[in-house]
Amino acid sequence: MSTKAPSAPAQVQTSSPQWLQALLLLAPAGIWLALLLVIPTLLIFQLSLVPDIKPGDIVNPSGLDNYLRIFQPDVLKVIGRSLLFAIGTTLLCLLMGFPVAYWIALLSPKRWRNLLLLAFVLPLWTSSLLRSYAWISILRPTGVLNTLLTSLHLPTLDLLNRSPAVLIGMTYSLLPYMVLILYASLEKLDRRFLEAAADLGATPPQAFWKVTVPQTLPGIAAGSLLVFITGLGDFINPELLGGTSSMTAARLIYNQFLGATQNWGFGSALSMVLILAVSLAIALLIKYGDKNASSL
Amino acid sequence: MNHMADFLTRSLHASRSRRRFLQTSIAGLSSMALSSCGWTLAKVQTDQVRRGAADELHIYTWSNYVDQDLIDAFRSQTGIKVISDVFDSNEMMLATFQAGKAGTYSIIYPSDYKVSQMVQLGYLSELDHSRLDGLRNILPRFQQSVHDPGNRFSVPVSWGTTGLIYNSEKLTEPPTDWDYLWKHKDKLTRRLTLMDDFREVMGATLRSLGYSYNATDPQQIKQAYEKLQELKPAITTFTTDAWRDQLLAGDLTIAMGYSADAVNVMNQNPKLKYVIPASGTSLWSDTMVIPKTAPNPEAAYAWMDFMLEPDVAARVTERLFFATPNEAAFNQLPDNLKNNVTLFPPHNLLDRSETLAPLDKPILELYEKYWTKLTSS
Repeated sequence: MSTKAPSAPAQVQTSSPQWLQALLLLAPAGIWLALLLVIPTLLIFQLSLVPDIKPGDIVNPSGLDNYLRIFQPDVLKVIGRSLLFAIGTTLLCLLMGFPVAYWIALLSPKRWRNLLLLAFVLPLWTSSLLRSYAWISILRPTGVLNTLLTSLHLPTLDLLNRSPAVLIGMTYSLLPYMVLILYASLEKLDRRFLEAAADLGATPPQAFWKVTVPQTLPGIAAGSLLVFITGLGDFINPELLGGTSSMTAARLIYNQFLGATQNWGFGSALSMVLILAVSLAIALLIKYGDKNASSL
Repeated sequence: MNHMADFLTRSLHASRSRRRFLQTSIAGLSSMALSSCGWTLAKVQTDQVRRGAADELHIYTWSNYVDQDLIDAFRSQTGIKVISDVFDSNEMMLATFQAGKAGTYSIIYPSDYKVSQMVQLGYLSELDHSRLDGLRNILPRFQQSVHDPGNRFSVPVSWGTTGLIYNSEKLTEPPTDWDYLWKHKDKLTRRLTLMDDFREVMGATLRSLGYSYNATDPQQIKQAYEKLQELKPAITTFTTDAWRDQLLAGDLTIAMGYSADAVNVMNQNPKLKYVIPASGTSLWSDTMVIPKTAPNPEAAYAWMDFMLEPDVAARVTERLFFATPNEAAFNQLPDNLKNNVTLFPPHNLLDRSETLAPLDKPILELYEKYWTKLTSS
């Protein structure tokens, strides 16, 4: 193959026009996307226009009833809660992830760096379901955490089946992504700027806020948006760690399809809203995110 | 854990099932053929049946109904290999069935009210009673059920009640009725779970108000919703089976659950007790059905016939602890199981209980509306 390579482009250009070449190269991915993304999304959109549809019913789009239902106080509350969980998780990941990424990228011994990163990503190799179950056994009223607190003569915490447990689980699941992206961004940091700042009399905190943070802003944006997007659609953590007051949009959608209350039309309308919200976040990510970091 | 195992098995069998996947997707696409007034959502094409391997039987069942011993016994008797998939709610079973798995299973285990719905949708094949000799061993109560009189479409395989499972060490005054939960809600706060099933939970609340499990009066349903809203701060979570570990670990005081699950946890911890609320409860039964789309109906009949054998039914009851509706099997049981009031409650309690009846669409939607309100707020 490699020996023939130099002569190949000339041959292709003479034998086929450029548009055909582009078509051939893009067709497999295009067909894939059309079949598995575009058509299903259009079907979901069509279903979202049929009120109270269940399997076996005729799909006969008749209006925006399902979308109007989203504006009911209960449903708005659920969407608001999803947003709060996603934003809370993003802030927690940023607060905890930045120091870690900073330390690995700038302060840790160079030969340990890859190993440290690997150690941080290691939990991602296990099933997310398994990780949520692990948190159940830690946070249970008589679980690992409370056993520890009792032995230290501290008051126990009742976290499981409440919002804090959901936030803990989501933050734990998404932290590695944040750290990876921030690391990629911090690693490229031009240290000569920091030296120049110090030369010109900036204290280390000043240099951090005026040099390090602005330079890694695209990385921060990329990491935050990725965590936010994934958090918004998270199903497992709210389902397993949440209780009677932690219904989220993803859980509500699940209930409309596979749960007790089946209403595929309303579920589809909710899905469309979630798809729109996530698309908007991805558009922001492409516009403001760190190109190199987000391709990680 | 099940999900993981499920995923692994699926990946391992990926190559073998690719052909089936293609067939299914082509069938799926053709079922979406557009007509003038739109298409039918997730249409199950009962007129197109794909034949499967003669020595393989795919069954779709609840998690605790089939074990390896049973599968091995069936194989040594008939030479048919059983592959079982499990579901944890009737709704999930039906949705999976409709969303493309219709041609996979030859035996499914729906509960009573789901049988009538599946019959209405035209999914089930009428049973040939001449091939099911053991049917005459079924107790008359289960031969003449509301959901399927005369067992035309379904064979009852197990039955039970819904009740309260409590930790007798933590309660000085044991619960006797549904109302106990409301009276002691302060003491039970965050130590109580109810089922993730709106018919059961709304039904129990309706019953505690003196109404029927199958109430159709919108005022009564609203009253039940308001009463549940009062109890909500005390409820840890709505779950149909995750309460088992938490109750065993001592994290919960009371859980609402099925008698079959209660027997299982009581065997592990004798301090746990089961009570059927005095004002009555829901009486459920799980059945075996053969869908019209069954790839291997011969093997399905063989399985039903096998499960109806008194010997087999009795051994399964001893091993997996679910109440058998098979009279001949019941007579074979050891006395300690026969006298187990959790499995086989006294008749006066059963007479006060109800089976969940199918509801008309507008009423069902009302229940669903209140349930979504309750679980979303």
